[in-house]
Amino acid sequence: MARSAALPRRPFPLQPRGAVVIAILALGLWSFVALDLTWAQVLPGADDFRQIGHFFSYAFRPALTFPAEDDVAGRAPLLVQALSAAKLTLIFAVTAISIAAVLGIVLGFLASTAWWAGDPSGARTTLGRYVRRTIAPTVYGATRLVITLMRSVHELIWAVLLLAAIGLTNVSAVVAIAIPYTGTLAKVFSEMIDEAPRGPSEALRAAGASPAQVFLFGLLPRALPDMAAYSLYRLECALRSSAILGFFGWETLGYYVKQQWDVGDYAEVWTYLYALLALVLLVEWWSGGLRRRFVA
Amino acid sequence: MSDRAVAVRALHAARPRSTYVRWSMIGFAALTTWAWWAGDFDVADFLSPRRMANLERFLGEVRPYPLHGRPWDWGVAWHWAATMFTDGVRARAFELPSGAEAMAVTLAISVAAIVLAGIGGALAAFPAARTFATPQPFLPGSDRSKAFQRRAWGALLHGTRGLLVFMRSIPEYVWAYLLIGMLGISAWPAVLALTIHNTGILGKLDAETVENLSPRSLAALRSVGATRRQVAAVGAVPAALSRFLLYFFYRWETCVREATVLGMLGIASLGYALSEARVRDRYDDMLFYVLLGAVLVLIGDLVSAIARGIVRRSA
Repeated sequence: MARSAALPRRPFPLQPRGAVVIAILALGLWSFVALDLTWAQVLPGADDFRQIGHFFSYAFRPALTFPAEDDVAGRAPLLVQALSAAKLTLIFAVTAISIAAVLGIVLGFLASTAWWAGDPSGARTTLGRYVRRTIAPTVYGATRLVITLMRSVHELIWAVLLLAAIGLTNVSAVVAIAIPYTGTLAKVFSEMIDEAPRGPSEALRAAGASPAQVFLFGLLPRALPDMAAYSLYRLECALRSSAILGFFGWETLGYYVKQQWDVGDYAEVWTYLYALLALVLLVEWWSGGLRRRFVA
Repeated sequence: MSDRAVAVRALHAARPRSTYVRWSMIGFAALTTWAWWAGDFDVADFLSPRRMANLERFLGEVRPYPLHGRPWDWGVAWHWAATMFTDGVRARAFELPSGAEAMAVTLAISVAAIVLAGIGGALAAFPAARTFATPQPFLPGSDRSKAFQRRAWGALLHGTRGLLVFMRSIPEYVWAYLLIGMLGISAWPAVLALTIHNTGILGKLDAETVENLSPRSLAALRSVGATRRQVAAVGAVPAALSRFLLYFFYRWETCVREATVLGMLGIASLGYALSEARVRDRYDDMLFYVLLGAVLVLIGDLVSAIARGIVRRSA
């Protein structure tokens, strides 16, 4: 008692940060109750445990060839099939990202404020004032709305919508991935453009450059390394998205994971999972190398 | 040549260059060209009259059911949406959860998953951080411990990192599909699928945070005799908490988005309602749940932005 009385009284010690942690834990508790989650459901019984162990034991011995009874004459070997599924996965991801990066730069430019807000030169002419006060904010608001809509719908849902509206074509797979990725890239690009150092653009503006010139030569070069690094990171995500499109009928890696899982051929499931792992790791390693060099 | 031109040339010649970056650019351009060429993309087929007729039929079917083949009426559409939101669909052959219930369940899945992943990621961050998983944590350059100790910690470090890589490389959707088969029907497969993938991501990000902590104060704690666990609890966790929380909310946004599709397993989430509506060709109902999912994602982004603002200010 005496000791605690000697200590200075601290004010209520809960920082806002601590309150956030407590709120998170309380919400977590709510979610468990709302979903009716009990530990008994997830702790496997002996039988389930054996099945799970059985599945994971194949992690150490993935299939490298088809079993003899499936090895019909004329069928391509398993590894060739895995490779072609990986190829299609890569193709969808790369084409979708290339569309999303180009559209993302255009929409990101329209959704950023750095090239028109606070531009003193724009206020000199009537037209400049009109552009700055009316047109630019309208374009900015409309673009924001469009990119928000694009990215708030998941690529799998875009895929389902396109399947119903157009059908199963390679173009619809790419479009399904490209729509939400364009939205995300545009949002992040616009933030990078707005947060790029303003020194060069101020100097260009002082020398009489137009907003387009300020963007192209003042803002874009400073933001470009970050944009490239982020696009590569999104390529990694696009590989995963492209793989799961296989669950909806395109013959990417997910197609075979689902097919082999459904017939209980775990060894082949692992073959395709490892192919996906290799693709993702390859891109992660590449983008990691680029990021290190951009930062240095 | 004028002085200015010379100066500009000199500046241009002195610009930073990297062969790695240059070859990456060339490689990426080549990869893109190859992908477009090898992808067998038939745009003419995509826009063919047959497909456009299909699109037109689809656009007719996404109109709310009471408005099929009738002129658009906001009152009727609004009434239909309100009924869907409060009651869902109760037909004789099947039923779809109400919009409100599907939204709440989807939100709960994302919250349960991110809380588990946040805890898992923070726990995995320490054995996955180079500065912590050594015989002498947070003390650079003073390692006189035995070789087997170094090797044991190295094994733990690389083992944890490898596990995290594996967890995050497999998409949530694949995890969910595999887990349904193993655990049966409950919300667990969806929750665990999101938890596994996001633990892999948060573990990596949190480990980088621990590695980037300023070593001074942590080394000082060590030098006055604090043990490994004490340094972690008193020094590292408080210093890293803000960043952990920022990553936590950033991943939660993604979790909400993913939770709108993970629902093919019989629990009344948006994904379930959506896929049920789809297999029954009820595209109007399907679009309703799609839009509800978009609203949920937007609310999630907003809440996350506010929470990240609070964390940033209090850091």
